[in-house]
Amino acid sequence: MKKKQTKQDKLNKTKDLINLLKKHGAQVYEDLENGEFPKFLIPNRSISNIIYDKKLRQYVLGTNTSLRSSRNSSQLRSFTQLLWLAFFANKLTHEKKSSTLRDVYYSSQAFAVDFEDQGESDNIIVDLEAVLSQPREDFYVFPEERSSIFGDLTIEYTIPGYEGKTQNLSSHPDGYAIGPSMTSAELVDTSAELVIAIEKGGLFTRFVEEQVDKKFKSIIINTGGQAPRSTRTLLKRLHDEMGLPVVILTDGDVYGEHIAMVIKSGSANAAHLKGLTVPDAKWMGVWATDIDKFKLPTIPMTESDIKRCYDLLKDPRYQEGLWKRELEVFIKIKRKAELEAFSKYGLNNITEKYLPKKLEESKSF
Amino acid sequence: MSSKEEFNQISPSEFFYRNRDLAGFSNPTRSLYTAVREFVENSLDACDHSGILPNIHMTIKAVEPDKPDPKHYILTVKDNGPGIESKHVPLAFGTVLYGSKFGLKQARGMFGLGATMAILYGQITTNKPVTVKSSTDGKTQDHFEMLLDIQKNKPVIQKHVKKEISETGLSVSICLEGDYSKAGTKIREYVKQITLITPYATITFDDPKGEKIKQNKIIRSMPPSPTIIAPHPYGIDVETIRRMLVDTHYQIPIVDDKMIEKVRKELGMSKNKFSYADIMKKTDKKWKSLTRPVRVVLSLMSFLEANFEKLQKIRIEDVDIGNNKITYWDYGESQTIAVDMDPESPYYKQLANTVQGESLTHFLTKRFQRVGPTAANQFCKFAKFKPETRIGNMNNQDLVKLSDALQTYEGFRAPDPTCLAPLGAEPLEKGIDRFFEPDFKAVVQRTASAYSGFPFIIEMGIAYGGNIQSRGTKVYRFANRIPLLYDEGSDVVLKVVNDTDWGRYKVKNDSAPMVVVSHICSTRVPYKTVGKENVADRPEIEKELRLALQFLSRKLSGYMSKKGQAEMAKKRANLYSKYLPLVAQFCTELSGNKKEPNYKKMIKEEISIEEKTN
Repeated sequence: MKKKQTKQDKLNKTKDLINLLKKHGAQVYEDLENGEFPKFLIPNRSISNIIYDKKLRQYVLGTNTSLRSSRNSSQLRSFTQLLWLAFFANKLTHEKKSSTLRDVYYSSQAFAVDFEDQGESDNIIVDLEAVLSQPREDFYVFPEERSSIFGDLTIEYTIPGYEGKTQNLSSHPDGYAIGPSMTSAELVDTSAELVIAIEKGGLFTRFVEEQVDKKFKSIIINTGGQAPRSTRTLLKRLHDEMGLPVVILTDGDVYGEHIAMVIKSGSANAAHLKGLTVPDAKWMGVWATDIDKFKLPTIPMTESDIKRCYDLLKDPRYQEGLWKRELEVFIKIKRKAELEAFSKYGLNNITEKYLPKKLEESKSF
Repeated sequence: MSSKEEFNQISPSEFFYRNRDLAGFSNPTRSLYTAVREFVENSLDACDHSGILPNIHMTIKAVEPDKPDPKHYILTVKDNGPGIESKHVPLAFGTVLYGSKFGLKQARGMFGLGATMAILYGQITTNKPVTVKSSTDGKTQDHFEMLLDIQKNKPVIQKHVKKEISETGLSVSICLEGDYSKAGTKIREYVKQITLITPYATITFDDPKGEKIKQNKIIRSMPPSPTIIAPHPYGIDVETIRRMLVDTHYQIPIVDDKMIEKVRKELGMSKNKFSYADIMKKTDKKWKSLTRPVRVVLSLMSFLEANFEKLQKIRIEDVDIGNNKITYWDYGESQTIAVDMDPESPYYKQLANTVQGESLTHFLTKRFQRVGPTAANQFCKFAKFKPETRIGNMNNQDLVKLSDALQTYEGFRAPDPTCLAPLGAEPLEKGIDRFFEPDFKAVVQRTASAYSGFPFIIEMGIAYGGNIQSRGTKVYRFANRIPLLYDEGSDVVLKVVNDTDWGRYKVKNDSAPMVVVSHICSTRVPYKTVGKENVADRPEIEKELRLALQFLSRKLSGYMSKKGQAEMAKKRANLYSKYLPLVAQFCTELSGNKKEPNYKKMIKEEISIEEKTN
């Protein structure tokens, strides 16, 4: 175990955040008191300001910032929204109450702050993340839950009302939702030696049924497609705090490859945040080369699939090794395979044959 | 057609009686409205021509108020105009096609026909006489009551008395069948609109329901009155040219005793007998002071070698310039005698000129407007006529050729607009201001243009916002200072307005409180019907309307963008009042302060900054 997050760390982090919010509030207050129009400096999140940091092995924001001033009548509204969110985040953090993206959108109405739609409020949340350089989970705003976890992992809740209560995550065969309580929980103990992140709920259930957790001493996580940030945070914590290697199993197509890449090195959307990536995570499959190797049934790629391949070829992270090679094979064969393709050879073919083989291979790359 | 069929001539009265629909007397509603129009417009025309600021009083009274419509009404229109001389009154109001408006200049009505039609209609429907009271000197008033003999087109005076009075003016009163419950809206609208286009007139109207409308004059000066002018070449047809030629073409005078007396007098030889030689001597001496007919007679005498006694005994039969012969009937000898003319003689030219008429160029310059000697010569070249062609020598074919060429030649200057009487931009603007009390207004008077030889001027105004209650573009149409209220849909003005893409001018057409006032002035407005309610779409008129509207729309557009900016500023000011309190509230809680910061001053400042910049 490398660096386990302690309660004290967490408390300090919360305190820092509250201080930061208060500092921003005080600045606005002071400006108003002096008859000046308050403003926020927000790191620019446009494509031109997103650069790939090779050292950090993730996308980060450049130095460009944009000014959001209450003096400007076209920015006044979004300035107010941002300040309201800071105010609301402060409340949530103080009271340790969780909220979801959707909940934030609806809560705004109670304060006469209007958002056109949830898209607008989601954007403001990302703005606040950028201003604070903290993920929204830190100020208790979570995505709708769709991601789940199963395996021998004991956690200790920190949310109000459950403080000190522990739970082993192998007790319920449907798995446990990765929600606010899970994300903020202390990771106490595990017998697992591996984390398997899997793209699909269907396969996740199959893996539980096949007792993959026991057979491979693993914790199984369903990412539900592109992994939400709370799930990526949990993956990072399992890797960093519990010292577990992370492998990723996706469909055999360009989107699957990218799901793995985002867990490994982050997304452009979250370039303003650090601490969401697991640079050591490994994409186990399904590779383009596996399609031929395991004689998987395939379907042809669509126009947009192919276009996505070429787009990713320009991405700095896809310039070498496995990532580049597989992408080029996809472009060559112009076909793709789903995880379910293994069923052709029997329902347990994937866990009995493919998984052991790939896990063995993965130790060498 | 069988030869037994009888051919009857009908009088103009009878013709109009049978075709009254054409003149706007199709039903009780329309007839009441048309009668009002005809009398009011006659009064306005009369005042205009005499330079009197019109003061017109109109009453409509039901004969039996309790009866349902349509019923009999008494319509009276009284003005402060010049009145009509006593001797003209019976003919003016008792016959069709008798009037003073036959010259070429702009007037509301053309011939004063409509008023007689109204009287005719009244008589047909109620069998009551028309009452006319007129005073031209402001001292005595002639009071007529008369009926119209439709078959004979003749007035039948039933009563004529004279009364003392203190002001000039005319009052006409008729009884007619009408439907005020239906026509009332239009009549009231007409009275209102007439003041918009005649802002120098005061009009009062007592309606049958006891309502009194009074529209006071807005301005005290009248626009300059139009002058009567010669026709423009473009407006001429073959028949008109033929008539003009007959007027111009000098005939050989009839040589009777009266004529001979005139010749003697001009030569100063009235008393004694004179020899032929004496007469010719005197003629040479006095030639320059002689009138044209006398010169012609003396020229004849020179070839006939006749003195006055001989002249009395003969009758000139023909002057044949082609063969240089004069033939005459000698009563004494009872035979026709031919005499040769010497083409070298100075008198030959006089006779030739007289018989052949003036030269074409002379005719064109003298009888038409906008044709000078240069234009006349260039036209002759274009039309392939010799400039010195004598108009007396032109045959029918030549006339057709001339008439066609006059209308196709493009070198003539535009018709003279002095015969037009536009209202003028300033009075129109004042009228619009008073009438609509708008937030924005603009007017334009286009320069004169012409269609088929008839000059016209477009005046147009546009108004937006303020007291304008209607939504969407409302068009007020006027022609020669008459409001046009019926048949709007087929009018050229409406077409032009509807063709406009108002979005380009920042106007939301369907909801804008906007008004377009259009005034067409012309010696002949091309109405689509005799009822004079809608103007036909002549390309020249349409083009001028379009240009006028575009000019005004651009002005409106400027106003609209300013207005838009002002609204934006207001909206922004509202934004600050809405959001700054929220900002204050949130930052107070976030920073842990107890009291809200003093931000209220900022909202006020912000608003005043916005106001200044706009």
